[in-house]
Amino acid sequence: MSVLTAVIIGVLMGTVFGFALEKSRVFEPGMIVGQMQMRNFIMLKVFLTAVVTGLVIIGIMHGFFGGKLYPKSLLYGADIIGGLLLGAGITLAGACPGTVFAQIGVGYKDSWLILIGGLAGALTFGYLEPTLNPILLSGGPGKLTLDTLLGVPFWMLAFGFAIALIVLLVVLEKWRPWRSDMGQNYDGDKS
Amino acid sequence: MKLSDKSWSPYVAGVLIGLLQIPAFLLINTALGTSSSYVTVSGTLASIVDPGIAQIDYVAKHLSGAKNWWQVATVIGIAIGAFISSRLSGTSRGAVSPVWSKALGTSSLAVRMLLAFVSGFLLLLGARVADGCTSGHGISGMAQLAISSFITVACMFAGGMIVALFLRKF
Repeated sequence: MSVLTAVIIGVLMGTVFGFALEKSRVFEPGMIVGQMQMRNFIMLKVFLTAVVTGLVIIGIMHGFFGGKLYPKSLLYGADIIGGLLLGAGITLAGACPGTVFAQIGVGYKDSWLILIGGLAGALTFGYLEPTLNPILLSGGPGKLTLDTLLGVPFWMLAFGFAIALIVLLVVLEKWRPWRSDMGQNYDGDKS
Repeated sequence: MKLSDKSWSPYVAGVLIGLLQIPAFLLINTALGTSSSYVTVSGTLASIVDPGIAQIDYVAKHLSGAKNWWQVATVIGIAIGAFISSRLSGTSRGAVSPVWSKALGTSSLAVRMLLAFVSGFLLLLGARVADGCTSGHGISGMAQLAISSFITVACMFAGGMIVALFLRKF
């Protein structure tokens, strides 16, 4: 595929992504920080619903039509350290690497600094990668997925996991209806 | 549920985002992700002043090709989609979300701007070390039952919740 075609597809997909992020209000710093303080559950709901949808789609595509998977390599140290740093960044930014762009789209100005900081962080990693690679980013058991580890067909585990997450979401919604997490100005500020 | 609504159900939004795996897998031969685009853009910019950066294999892998620029286009699309949605609903936003002055205990713009830069740095350093973010590891990795993604997502929430203890509630 040509770069131009890929870029056009990317812009279209991103527009849908950004639209969904804005309508759900999950891009608001108030929603992200509120989730990390376990007082607001919009982020978890959007996130887990996207996972459930992906499980069903990938369960069908990979399980029944032999479509390829693109899992990431299991590297315990990198996954743990990287995950912790990423999480710390998410709370202090009030954003994820993708939702920063939704914040920029709606007009938050501090998000430009998150973006610049993010580019600096990614560049720093680029320069450090050759040094970090032998310590943190190589070896490990490879691109391990739970179905191969357990010896269960992918589709079966994917559908089972999807059902479990749906049950969790139903309970979560009963306990805490999503509208109650919006706040007066739809920014997660409930005070 | 109208295009002019200020908010939609998180479940509708989640399904819409999840459905994007179909074009990602079938057209681009990859799963949805956003954080490697930061390497593509920062690496491309840095190569203007430091051509030597293209000698680093990791950076070189991110500089060219349809997949890398597809992801850059996707994140730009996110800004476009959010802009359109906010205009359709007339949801205007100021320079900084009002929750920050409450969470940080100061309304200083300088403090927030400094924190925004530092947090962005942490965000992408972490995402690159882990090889993925909330989209790549979270939404896509968990949907592929990848063990690395379950570990990364658990640590992501742990890290986020620990830091959140230091912020005020609002």
